[in-house]
Amino acid sequence: MDILYLLIPLSSVLVLGIVGVFAWALHRGQFDDIEREGERILDETQVASVSTPEQSRNV
Amino acid sequence: MSTLAAAAGVVDDPVELARFTRIDGARGLAESSLQLSGLHCAACAGQIEAALAAVDGVLDAEVSYAASRVRVRWQPQRTRASTLVAAIHRAGYGAVPDTAAQARAMRAAEQRQLLWRLFVAVFCAMQVMMLATPVYVADAGSLAPDLEQLLQRSAWMLTLPVLLFSAAPFFVSAWSSLRQRRLGMDVPVALGVAVAFVASSGAAFDPGGVFGREVYFDSLTMFVSFLLAGRWLELRARHAATDAIERLGFAAPRQAWRIVDAHGRIEAVSVERLVAGDRVRVPLGEAFPGDGVLEDGSTQADESLLTGESTPVPKSVGDSVVAGSMNLGAPVIARIERTGADTRFEQIAALMREALTCRPETTRLADRIAGPFLAAVLLLALGAALVWWTIDPSRAIWVAVSVLIVTCPCALSLAAPSALLAATAALARRGVLLRRVDALETLARVDHVMLDKTGTLTQPRPQWRATHALDACDEAGRRQRTLDAAALACWSTHPLARALVEAVPEAAAQAARWHEVHEVRGHGLEALDAAGQRWRLGSSRWLGLAPGDAHAEAALAFGPVGQPLLAIEFDESLRDDALASVVALRAQGIALTVLSGDEATRVSRLAARLGIDHAVAGAAPERKLDALRRLQSDGHVVAMVGDGVNDAPVLAQADVSFALVHGAQIARAAADAVLLSARLQDIAHALHVARRTVRVIRQNLVWAALYNAACVPLALAGLLPPWAAGLGMAASSVFVVGNAMRLARIA
Repeated sequence: MDILYLLIPLSSVLVLGIVGVFAWALHRGQFDDIEREGERILDETQVASVSTPEQSRNV
Repeated sequence: MSTLAAAAGVVDDPVELARFTRIDGARGLAESSLQLSGLHCAACAGQIEAALAAVDGVLDAEVSYAASRVRVRWQPQRTRASTLVAAIHRAGYGAVPDTAAQARAMRAAEQRQLLWRLFVAVFCAMQVMMLATPVYVADAGSLAPDLEQLLQRSAWMLTLPVLLFSAAPFFVSAWSSLRQRRLGMDVPVALGVAVAFVASSGAAFDPGGVFGREVYFDSLTMFVSFLLAGRWLELRARHAATDAIERLGFAAPRQAWRIVDAHGRIEAVSVERLVAGDRVRVPLGEAFPGDGVLEDGSTQADESLLTGESTPVPKSVGDSVVAGSMNLGAPVIARIERTGADTRFEQIAALMREALTCRPETTRLADRIAGPFLAAVLLLALGAALVWWTIDPSRAIWVAVSVLIVTCPCALSLAAPSALLAATAALARRGVLLRRVDALETLARVDHVMLDKTGTLTQPRPQWRATHALDACDEAGRRQRTLDAAALACWSTHPLARALVEAVPEAAAQAARWHEVHEVRGHGLEALDAAGQRWRLGSSRWLGLAPGDAHAEAALAFGPVGQPLLAIEFDESLRDDALASVVALRAQGIALTVLSGDEATRVSRLAARLGIDHAVAGAAPERKLDALRRLQSDGHVVAMVGDGVNDAPVLAQADVSFALVHGAQIARAAADAVLLSARLQDIAHALHVARRTVRVIRQNLVWAALYNAACVPLALAGLLPPWAAGLGMAASSVFVVGNAMRLARIA
């Protein structure tokens, strides 16, 4: 069971790391408007700004 | 910090300043309204007030905890608005001018920040609990001491974010209150958290030292989580109520389409630049930028924000429109008559702001007793720790922590304000605007309502009553003349003319019989009949009736010039809901009195029609006041409903007073509540809400007192672990707020 002496501290550090990453994502505004990302495909005004040059050529 | 400083500088800009400050240049006074953030408990209000009072040039400051607002009166020549904001920041709170979106964004940020603190606390608490479980479930001696220590130290590491981040608001608020030599509600909480952490850390890193072997990291993190959850729910409830009341203030448009020349060219201007007389185009779905008159087009307007009336009101040319109401039907052109602070919308919004910053008496009482109460809590905890030290030193610390946490009077301090705020918001949605929140408590005790007759029970619109022939003509002739008069009245929009046409609807088809019709302002109509004779329909004086003649007091007369043939009398019409609201009030056991300056027969006829037993007729303002004082000296709690200038002294004397929004400004200023909807039934509704509110406050106080009475002995006896104390405290706060929120749902 010696492995516990490694795993317990490791899991604790991992928990702190997860909280840190989630904090970063949250404060970057990634969860600000969850609905919008799903609905963007229906938004006509957005089309021009998201299409890349080669997509425009293909069209 | 530089953006903060820049933002603070903008606050001093005269244009910006005017948006949240009323400046009285003559007396050298300014009154500002600021939106606050970071308030945790009712005691914070006192700290902000103290911080502002310390600023040179501030006369007084009044904080409303329930609405997170402060109203400051200050002298512009001695200080500046930015200094006030900075003083609040130094005390550990946030403040922005109380105008539109900025304050709302701040509330959203505050709520999100608290939710994030809660998440960190709950997430870490779960991990700590996992690390603590082996110690609880292992048989004695089966867990190696060094493994147990490793688990304890891991738990310590996971407690750090909870202590340093999640619990930070408790420490900040406790520290700022101690610095001002006051005891805030967070002092025992912060002390409990700190003691538990220090003792547990000592036990974890120096097992068998002064702090023994017990660690409380699981209790500590759970306690902080429960507490934050309670705070978060409370904050959400508070924000919801503030939003409901504030929605009024955000509906005002900032931009208008002004018509610049005769060709209909338009330009976009700020509503601040509009002046009376401007013509504006109001597109579909936009709000009217000022009070005015419709000049072109017809539409429906949604005035629900101002009146609580949800059905759109049809508007045609000549009808008045109010700022802030939405244009729902079609694009129209309106001529602006009043702008900015003169609009009815702004006056109502000002009343709103006043109501939101008024702190009820019960809350002030709670603030006063909070200090001594908290001192007693600290002494009790210290005593418990000392006693337990002699009995069983290993339990002394967590008993003290439990006592500190369980006695926090949060629920007690929330009992009244949360209920009053929820009820105020519910009434505001119905169109009943309370100017003093305290009025609710008095309103619940009202047992007698006095109603003004003219304009309150009756409509300002007249109703046709009778026509009298002025010469010896028979019944058929009189009827024919009435028809002729009504046909002529079709040409006018005067209220009396409209009432006459309403009474004789078949006249509308014969309006074409009259030609060369013209309206003489202030007198009446003049027209030629088929035979070319000149007729008049107008005031009896204009028709040539002298005072003393028969029927000279009739409102209208009709006949050829200089030869009045017909006198037409009008009556007031009852408001549609007058009878229903009288019935509703009586069903609640309320006695009613009609007050009027009118002659006795009319008043008693109206009282009999409504089934009201008491009527005071022919009453000058002094007699009305006497009647009111007599009732009050008999021990009645009296509410007064009125609208006129002559009602103002009676409204001021009554225990609770309602003014109708269309009434005189002075009546509105003297009243405790304004009926935006002009629906009399809302008075019965307000009474109902007030009684429920008082009941809820009583329930809340009893609950909070019972909770403390039951839990403090348990904690002292060592039967209540700290996590259970935290759960109990958070649950009692949530119960109190939830109970209050029931009021918001009364439809």
